[in-house]
Amino acid sequence: MGTLDGRVACVTGGTRGIGLAIAKAFLDEGARVVINGRDPAKAAQSLAELNAGDRAHFIAGDVKKREDCEAVVDGTVERFGRIDILVANAGGAAGFAPVAELTDEAMDDAIKWNLWHTLWVMRRAFKYMIPQGYGRVINVSSVEGKAGKPGMSTYVAAKHAVNGLTKSAAKEVGPLGITVNAVCPGVIETDIVKEGGAGAAAAMGLTYDQLLATFAADSAIKRINEVEDVANVAVLLASEIGGGITGSLISIDGGTSPY
Amino acid sequence: MGKLEGKVACITGGTRSIGRAMAEAFIAEGATVVVNGRDPVKGERCLAEMNAGARAAFFPGDAAKQSVVEGLIDFTIEKFGHLDICCLNSGGVQATAPVSMMSDEEWNLEIDWNLNHVFWGMRRALQHMIPRQAGRVIVTSSVEGKLGKPGLPGYVATKHAVNGLVKSAAHEVGTLGITVNAILPGIIETDIVRETGPASAQAMGVGSYEALIEMFCSESSIKRPNRVEEVAAVAVLLASDAARNMTGCLFPVDGGTLPY
Repeated sequence: MGTLDGRVACVTGGTRGIGLAIAKAFLDEGARVVINGRDPAKAAQSLAELNAGDRAHFIAGDVKKREDCEAVVDGTVERFGRIDILVANAGGAAGFAPVAELTDEAMDDAIKWNLWHTLWVMRRAFKYMIPQGYGRVINVSSVEGKAGKPGMSTYVAAKHAVNGLTKSAAKEVGPLGITVNAVCPGVIETDIVKEGGAGAAAAMGLTYDQLLATFAADSAIKRINEVEDVANVAVLLASEIGGGITGSLISIDGGTSPY
Repeated sequence: MGKLEGKVACITGGTRSIGRAMAEAFIAEGATVVVNGRDPVKGERCLAEMNAGARAAFFPGDAAKQSVVEGLIDFTIEKFGHLDICCLNSGGVQATAPVSMMSDEEWNLEIDWNLNHVFWGMRRALQHMIPRQAGRVIVTSSVEGKLGKPGLPGYVATKHAVNGLVKSAAHEVGTLGITVNAILPGIIETDIVRETGPASAQAMGVGSYEALIEMFCSESSIKRPNRVEEVAAVAVLLASDAARNMTGCLFPVDGGTLPY
């Protein structure tokens, strides 16, 4: 008997890292889960790892494209009949540079990846959640949604915007049985951080290892976070009893954020 | 297999409402719990209703008194061998008033009850937890720890202070396997709110108890009060191994009231 028995979830960027950990935790609690990602080969491996039979399903799509975002949400409903839980988890940034040297393309890319994607999937999911009078939206933001690091302005701005979108949407659907929250993890060594971390570090004048050390030093626990930290909170926010929590920006950052 | 199997917890103000919901949730997850409260009759009734046998005990006394808070922690360790989870949950107001009419007596009571009680309990608990390199401190704060309402100056000031205390302590013990977090509930119709609500409503200039509740609800996104079980579910998460990397967190359970 799980806390998410009978529920249907959709996790963007669900084949790796935080998204995969959330998918796994939701499956453990009895939910059926759609994971989205760009690469069907990776997805096959992820589904094998999840080992949940027909309770897990992959839908390919690039979250930087509106039609893909909408197709992932629609596809969830087609596959499992409904959508109760949406996790807008995909995100990241590339082309890190100080503002003085920042390209339009880098900002545009970060806004598409983190902000537009969150709007596109949430707006589509509301189409189903509002009539059914139940829903849980969890946006994976970041400690950088509350603070700012030099050289990361694209990501920082996009995640701050996601936090604002979360709070506004929460007020719109609050009386309708739908909650909208953001989780704000500290740095976690996911594939995406390993891929983009060197660039971010360089923009800050650091090596990749120094970048991670900087994040750890800012925290109270003096180490970086883990994907399971986020998944455990996501389960609570996705559950029935999480219905009293909305518009919250939950810090999962080992005591880094000042508020 | 519960999430708190083998853990020992103590809870100030644990015989009713939020504290009681935490106690029941902890017990359901396998923990042993000592609840504290002022009234031994209520304490006995609480134990009988929770029906957890040897996995629950009661420690009588007023959480606004240092000897009681420290006594609760010492009693828990003596009786059950150690303390894993310390919930500093008791708090409230008695005869609150706008600043211009606030009495020293009420001010001191709220400082002792809401702030000093948390400090005394946290200090005693950390002295036990630091050598063990393990522990969870969970403080019941309030949305008023981040906002301000007229007529509640002591409550608002002490809950703000408690949030600061939590963040500072979290940094002190962050590398020692100990987390310190606060939960910030919105309005909940607990016994204590029902008892003191009418007088508070007067001090806040909103007329009636019903108007007070309605004001809090209208400021939320969900347009209803919160429930004790919603707070207890977050307490279970923060108390569990799963939350080992969450600390210094001010966790709102307020139906979308707080702006940050």
